[in-house]
Amino acid sequence: MVKTALEAVMRVGIPTEVHPGERRVAATPDTVGKLIKLGFEVSIQSGAGEGAKLADAAYAEAGAEVVQDVNALWAESDIIIKVRSPETDPADGTDECERLREGGWLISMIQPATNGPLVERLAARKSTVIALDQIPRISRAQKMDVLSSMANIAGYRAIIEAANHFGSFFAGQITAAGRTRPAQVMVIGAGVAGLAAIAAARGLGAEVSAFDVRLAAKEQVESLGARFLELEFPADEGGETSGGYAKIMSKEFIDAEMALFAEQARKVDIIVTTALIPGRKAPLLITKEMVDSMKPGSVVVDLAAEQGGNCGYTECDQAVEAGGVTVIGYTDLTSRLATQSSQLFGTNLVNLLSDMTTDGVCAIDLEDEVVRKSMILRDGEVTWPPAPDPEKAAAPSTAPDAAKPASPAQKPAPVEDSGPSSMPMVLTALVGAAAIYVGLDESMSIFVQQLTVFVLACFVGWQVVWNVTAALHTPLMSVTNAISGIIIVGGMLQAGNPDAGELAQILGAVAILVASINIAGGFLVTQRMLAMFRK
Amino acid sequence: MIALTANQLAVPYLIAGVLFIMSLSGLSTQETARRGNVFGIIGMAIAMGATFLASGLEINALLMGAVVLGGAVGAALAARVVMTGMPQLVAILHSFVGLAAVLVGISTYMSHPDSGAVHAIEVWLGVAIGAITFTGSVVAWAKLRGSLSGTPLLLPGRHLLNLVMLVATVGLLVPFLDASLSEGLTLLYIMTAITCVMGIHLVLAIGGADMPVVVSLLNSYSGWAAAASGFMLNNNALIITGALVGSSGAILSFIMCKAMNRSIWNVVFGGFGTDSGGASAPAAAGDQGEVTEIDSDSCAEELLAAKRVIIVPGYGMAVARAQHMVNDLTRILRDRGVEVRYAIHPVAGRLPGHMNVLLAEAGVPYDVVLEMDEINDDFPKTDVVLVIGANDIVNPGAQTDTSSPIYGMPVLEAWKSSMVVIFKRGMGAGYAGVANPLFFHDNSRMLFGNAGDTVAQLVSNLRER
Repeated sequence: MVKTALEAVMRVGIPTEVHPGERRVAATPDTVGKLIKLGFEVSIQSGAGEGAKLADAAYAEAGAEVVQDVNALWAESDIIIKVRSPETDPADGTDECERLREGGWLISMIQPATNGPLVERLAARKSTVIALDQIPRISRAQKMDVLSSMANIAGYRAIIEAANHFGSFFAGQITAAGRTRPAQVMVIGAGVAGLAAIAAARGLGAEVSAFDVRLAAKEQVESLGARFLELEFPADEGGETSGGYAKIMSKEFIDAEMALFAEQARKVDIIVTTALIPGRKAPLLITKEMVDSMKPGSVVVDLAAEQGGNCGYTECDQAVEAGGVTVIGYTDLTSRLATQSSQLFGTNLVNLLSDMTTDGVCAIDLEDEVVRKSMILRDGEVTWPPAPDPEKAAAPSTAPDAAKPASPAQKPAPVEDSGPSSMPMVLTALVGAAAIYVGLDESMSIFVQQLTVFVLACFVGWQVVWNVTAALHTPLMSVTNAISGIIIVGGMLQAGNPDAGELAQILGAVAILVASINIAGGFLVTQRMLAMFRK
Repeated sequence: MIALTANQLAVPYLIAGVLFIMSLSGLSTQETARRGNVFGIIGMAIAMGATFLASGLEINALLMGAVVLGGAVGAALAARVVMTGMPQLVAILHSFVGLAAVLVGISTYMSHPDSGAVHAIEVWLGVAIGAITFTGSVVAWAKLRGSLSGTPLLLPGRHLLNLVMLVATVGLLVPFLDASLSEGLTLLYIMTAITCVMGIHLVLAIGGADMPVVVSLLNSYSGWAAAASGFMLNNNALIITGALVGSSGAILSFIMCKAMNRSIWNVVFGGFGTDSGGASAPAAAGDQGEVTEIDSDSCAEELLAAKRVIIVPGYGMAVARAQHMVNDLTRILRDRGVEVRYAIHPVAGRLPGHMNVLLAEAGVPYDVVLEMDEINDDFPKTDVVLVIGANDIVNPGAQTDTSSPIYGMPVLEAWKSSMVVIFKRGMGAGYAGVANPLFFHDNSRMLFGNAGDTVAQLVSNLRER
C-alpha cells in the first residue's frame, strides 16, 4: 500500500495542561516511545511534564520533539491529545479551541452532555473530536478507559488524604503502650474509585464497610475483605443502568439509605463518598447533621466534590473543618499522584490510538463501537450522542478481577456420609416386613397386623423427629420419655385383670407406679423446660 | 358405666397415637413446642382413660393407688430438678420405663404362660430390652450424678463377656418356648438377671464424654421395650408409641455420633479415651509452648472493645452452674452495643441439647443461640470468643492432627477469631483426654478458675466500667 505523506506520518501533539492545579500530562516518555513505535511523530510542549516530574529531556530522549511555542505545537499537530477539555488559557487569555488547527483531531475529556458551548466552538474548527469520557464500558475498551484509571487513583488517594488528616493509626495494634482500635472506614459507592479506596484502606489495616445501590457490587466489596452494608428494602430495584453506572433511585430507597448512613456516621472514623450519577449533580448523601454526629477527628473525603459533592459541608477543592470533622473536597486527587496518573492516562491513549491504527494508518472507523460511541465531532459535524444500540451491551465488568478467597482448608473426611438418607432404611424395613409376612402362616394374622402398625409407626417417628430442632433435643427426650410411660397401659391391664393371679397383679401395679412417675415427671419437666425458651 | 370392648378400645388408642405424633412434630420449632407437649399430655390422658374403661378391668385400690403415688413422685421430681441435673433425671426416667417393661413382661407371662411361640418370644424380647434399659439407665444416672466415676470401666475380655451374655440370652429362649409355667418363670428370671448385668456392664464401659449418645440410646431402648410389650399384649397404643420413641432415640444417637465423627459401635464398644487417647494425651501437653494468662480486668477491656463476641459453652459451664452469670455478661455486653452470640456444639454437655436448655433457663434469647453449622463460618469475623467450660469441641487438632483420637470430629473453629479467652479450672485435658493445641495459640488467653467465679468476676468488672 502506497502511503501518502499525510496518512503515513501523523503528528501527535501534547500541550501543557492549562487548568490551574492540573499537574497531569497526556503522555509520559514511556508512552511517547510507544506512540512513535506505532508510527506517529510526537511533539510535546516544553514543560508539559513538569507537574508530573517528567523532564523535557526525557521526552526528547524518547523521540519527541520538544516545542517551545504553544501555538506552534497546536498548529503543527494532526492529533492533539490532552487530559482536560479545552478551556481558556489563563496565561494569555486564548481559548484552546482557537489553537486547534482547522480540521485537526482532538482526543481528551469533553463531557459533551454538560459542555454544549465547547462542542460548538470545536465544531467551528471543523475538527474531529473523540471524548475519552464517552468511551463505552465494554470489556474490550477497558484498556482505554481513562475514567476507570483515574477513579482507581482517586480512590487510593482519597484514603491517603484521609489518613493524612486522621489522628490515629488505620490498623489496630497491641503495643507496649496500649491497644489501638482499627479505624472504621465506610465507603459509599463501590465503583472503581470506591473499590480502590476499600483496597487501600484494607491495606492500611482499617475495618471497612461499603455501600452501593447496585447489589452486584456486594461480591466485589466482599472479595476485598470489606463488609457490604445492605438495606432492609424490597430489592426489586437493581440500581444499575446499562452502562454499569448507578441510576436514580426511588424516594423510599433513598430514605432507607439515608437512615443507614446516619447510623453508620456515628460509628465510623472515615467516610469516603464516590456517588456520582452521570450527567447530574451528585446526590447529597452525608448531610451536615450526619457529619455533626461523627466523632471529632473523623474525616470525610468527598470524591464527588466537582459535581456538587455528596456531603453537606463539602467545598470544592478545600479541606474544611466542621466541629472537629475534616471534610475534604479536593477535585485534584489524581493530580496529587501526577506521575502515576499521567502514566496510566497516557497508556490508555496509546491503547486507543493503537486500536484506531490499521497497517500504520490511523483513521476513524465507524464500524468500531468504541470510536463510534466516543466520537463527538467528525470534521465539524456533531455525531454525539450516537445512535442507540439495538441490543443492550453485554454486562460490563467494571471491577478489577479480585481473586476469590481461597477455598477453606480441606476438612477431614467424616466417617459417615452427611445427611439422613432414610430411603435405604425404608426399603430395608419394607423388604424385611414383606419377607416376614410371606414366611408366616395365616394363624399369625394378628402378629402381621401388629408388625404393620409397628413399621409404620417407626417410619412416622423417623420422619417427624428429623424435623426437631437441635436446641429442643433435651425436651424431645423428656417428652418421648413421658410418652414411653404408655407402658402403664400394660401395667393397668395386668393389675386390673382379676384372672391374672395375685403376684401378676402386684407386678402390674408396680409397673403402673414406676410408669406414672415417668409420665408425670416427663411431661412436667418438659413443660418447665419449654416455658424457659423465649425469643 | 360404659365398658369398652377390645375393638372400641382401639379407637382411643389410635387417637392417642396420632396425638403423640403431633406432639413430636410440635417440637420441631420453639414456637410450637409447648403445644406439642400439651398434645402428648392429652394423648396420654386419653390412652389411660380408655384403659380404665376397658371391659373386664377391675379397678381396685392397688391400681388407683399406684397411679396416684407414681404421679405424685414424678411431679415432685420434675418440680425439684435443677436444669443442670436434667441429664440425671432423664436417665433415671428411662430406667423406670425399662423396669415397667420387665414387670409387665413377667406379669403377662404369669397370667398367660402358654399362648404360643410368638407370644413367648415377644415376652422374652420385651423383658430383655427392658432389663438392659433399666440397669443401663441406672448406671448412666449414677455416672451423670457423679456417684460413679465417669471413666470407663474396661474389664479384660469385655467383648467376650458381652458375647457370652448375648448368646446365653438367646440360647435360654429355646427351652423357654416349651417350658411349663414354673420352669419358664425360672428361665425368665435367669435371663432377666443376665440382661441386667449386661446393661450395667455395657454402660460402665462408656466414658463420661459419650453420655449424650448413651442417654439417647437408652431413650431408644425404652421405646423398643414399650413396643415389645405392645406386641406381647396385642396393644397398638404401646406399639405405636414405642416405635415413635424408639426411632426418636435412634435418630438422636445418630446425630450425636455424627457430631463426634464416630460410629455407634465405636461409642458403645470402643471404650474411647483410654486405649488410644490416654497414653498420648496429657503427656503431650507439656511440649507445646506456653499458655498466656489473662486477668478478668483485661478480659473485660477486650470485651468492651470488641464488636462481635461468640460464647462457646461446654459442660464446665453446667457444672459450675454459671449460665445465669453468663447471661448477665451477655446482657451487659449487648447493652454496650457488642454483638453477642452463642455457638453450640451438638455434643456440648451430657445430653443432646443440654446447653440450649441451660441457656434458656438463664433467659438467653434462643435466636442468638446458634448451632455449629450456622455459626462456624463467622469465627474469622469475630473479635473475641469466650470458651466457657468447653475443651474438645474447640480443639483444632480435630482438623489437623491425624494421630488425635478426635481427628475428624467437627469442631467449632474458635481459633479463627482475633482472640480466644478460655475459662478453665486448670490445664487438665477434656473428657476425651486429648491435649488441646488451642490453649497454646498466640491469640489464646487462659482465664483460670471455676467458671462460676471467673464469670462472676468478669461481670462485676464490666459493671464497674
